[in-house]
Amino acid sequence: MNRNKPPVIRNKGARRTTGRPQRGKSPAKPAATNLRAVAATLIAGLLNQQGSLSSALDVVRVPDNDRPWLQALCFEVMRHYPTLQALLTPLLHKPLKERDQDIHALLLIGLCQLRVMRIAEHAAINETVQAADALKKGWAKGLINAVLRQYQRQQAELEAGLAPAEAAAHPQWLWDAIQQAWPGNADRIIATNNSHPPMTLRVNRQQESRDVYRDRLDHQGIAAEPCAFAPDGLRLRSPVPVDQLPGFYQGDASVQDESAQLAALLLPASPGLRVLDACAAPGGKTGHWLEIEPQLHMTALDVDADRLRRIEENLQRLDFPETTLRCGDLGFPADWWDDQPFDAILLDAPCSGSGVIRRHPDIKLLRKPEAIDALVEEQQTLLRSAWSMLAPGGVLLYCTCSILPQENAEQVARFLHDTPDAREEPIDAAWGIACAHGRQLLPTEEGGDGFYYARLRKVIAG
Amino acid sequence: MALLEILEFPDPRLRKKAAPVTEVNEAIRTLADNMLETMYAAPGIGLAATQVNVQKRVVVIDLSEEKNAPLVLINPEFAVIDPEQHEYQEGCLSVPGFYETVCRPQRIRVSALDRHGKALDFEAEGLLAVCIQHEIDHLDGKLFVDYLSTLKRQRIRQKLEKAHRSQA
Ligand SMILES: C[S@@+](CC[C@H](N)C(=O)[O-])C[C@H]1O[C@@H](n2cnc3c(N)ncnc32)[C@H](O)[C@@H]1O
Ligand SMILES: [Zn+2]
Repeated sequence: MNRNKPPVIRNKGARRTTGRPQRGKSPAKPAATNLRAVAATLIAGLLNQQGSLSSALDVVRVPDNDRPWLQALCFEVMRHYPTLQALLTPLLHKPLKERDQDIHALLLIGLCQLRVMRIAEHAAINETVQAADALKKGWAKGLINAVLRQYQRQQAELEAGLAPAEAAAHPQWLWDAIQQAWPGNADRIIATNNSHPPMTLRVNRQQESRDVYRDRLDHQGIAAEPCAFAPDGLRLRSPVPVDQLPGFYQGDASVQDESAQLAALLLPASPGLRVLDACAAPGGKTGHWLEIEPQLHMTALDVDADRLRRIEENLQRLDFPETTLRCGDLGFPADWWDDQPFDAILLDAPCSGSGVIRRHPDIKLLRKPEAIDALVEEQQTLLRSAWSMLAPGGVLLYCTCSILPQENAEQVARFLHDTPDAREEPIDAAWGIACAHGRQLLPTEEGGDGFYYARLRKVIAG
Repeated sequence: MALLEILEFPDPRLRKKAAPVTEVNEAIRTLADNMLETMYAAPGIGLAATQVNVQKRVVVIDLSEEKNAPLVLINPEFAVIDPEQHEYQEGCLSVPGFYETVCRPQRIRVSALDRHGKALDFEAEGLLAVCIQHEIDHLDGKLFVDYLSTLKRQRIRQKLEKAHRSQA
């Protein structure tokens, strides 16, 4: 607060205030260039509940040709984290301090290499022990050596002692939630969560058909199959860096999961329609919606200024410069909205990500069951707020990349119950499972991620 | 010590809710010191951590002209003693240049921790009561412009957005 009498002379130069968003993250500084040590530093951040793996990898500084190995190692450790942690607990006499979580991470890395990555034993152990030096924690070498060797000696016993959720590399709460929500599909969901995701492309239909683009890929020696349900989708037989994709920088294709490619198809699209992508960053679905109808009056909103810049980059690449980009909180329309109702709104709500665990395996560590309730409340608030900006007769598509009913069908049931002018508009489709409200896609190894869609229309009162 | 950047309306980060401080440690004391320095430099009489993009329940206040009576409130809460509302012309470092009348209860009972983690419990009235309520609002993602008419708030938003654009 400041006094009601402003000082007569305001020293503008000394004011450090700007409304412009600034980069919030400071780059992670790895303690050394030993890659296991770098990985340990990144994973220690996650163990201390700071940030996410992809944001940490985005800012870490390592030589380009080391990046794939570092990334693969970190992902593998996260993918197996619940198992590795369960194996480690009985081997550690007392937990390590918060500032020594990098050593804890090194132990997980060592176990992962021995158990999962099939790295030769002496290399796995020696290199991991050496990494402690790179972290300037020579005192931990004996500990790492002892723990990894003891694991080797007692492997059979330790493995036999794992609970089913631990053996399946899922936190107990998530394992329970999956069994409860999808009893008939639980094994398949869990196996998919532990697998490596396919790389799927969305061909820009403004440029060419997917058949033509598939031929171009073929010329480059990149094998791809048409997606079963997404008409613009091509699934690559194996992932490639985006700069190898023909015409990527000209906007001919984008990387997007098949299930995510269904959103824009469920939305109205005609020239001049006023539409809002309410949680838009990095703009995957915004771009697809515009590829379907470039004459939309599109507003793309996100609360996170850094992520908003990614929408800008994506839309520049796809050549949709007319889009209105807004940094704002969907829950506070008065802070950014111009009071003109929207004819259609896409609400791709922040969610648990329980449908995309194979792409973000750090969810296994970072998501806590206590946080789900708060998330569900937030989604309901966002849904109501978005609804207040929808024109009568307009359509709102609610979606999440979650497979938990609280975030999905139950969320929509509550909203419909409380909102007299909302009607569900059923989605008639060949994909997914019809729920009490909306449709659920479960993650499948060959197909798309877990996603949920519900379409709601604002009826005209009268 | 360091000057921190003060977020300005309508920056969405001002809408985030701050989390309670679980341990009053050196990091929290450093934050409070930096907030005081930032507040004095602005100049202002109150600053909440939310305004410097830290989502922790920390508030600093100094109503003295001499800038020698700093008050650090950690996890502050209040109860209304006298529900009678008083008008006060409020301003905010996150809404620079605007001063508008806001009504708030005039006597409150405040509880909080001080910079050493010691429990505080006191009565506040007048400007101190206004200021504490204004700062606690910040921790809950609330701004004094939320108490104004839609028209007034929109006008303030537009002017600030314009100012930000011209600074960009
Ligand atoms: C699931 S992601 C969106 C993905 C995007 N639709 C796409 O297809 O590329 C959710 C986004 O919502 C944003 N977000 C979270 N809370 C928000 C809020 N209150 N207002 C606006 N955006 C929000 C997050 O920053 C995040 O970028
Ligand atoms: Zn203020």
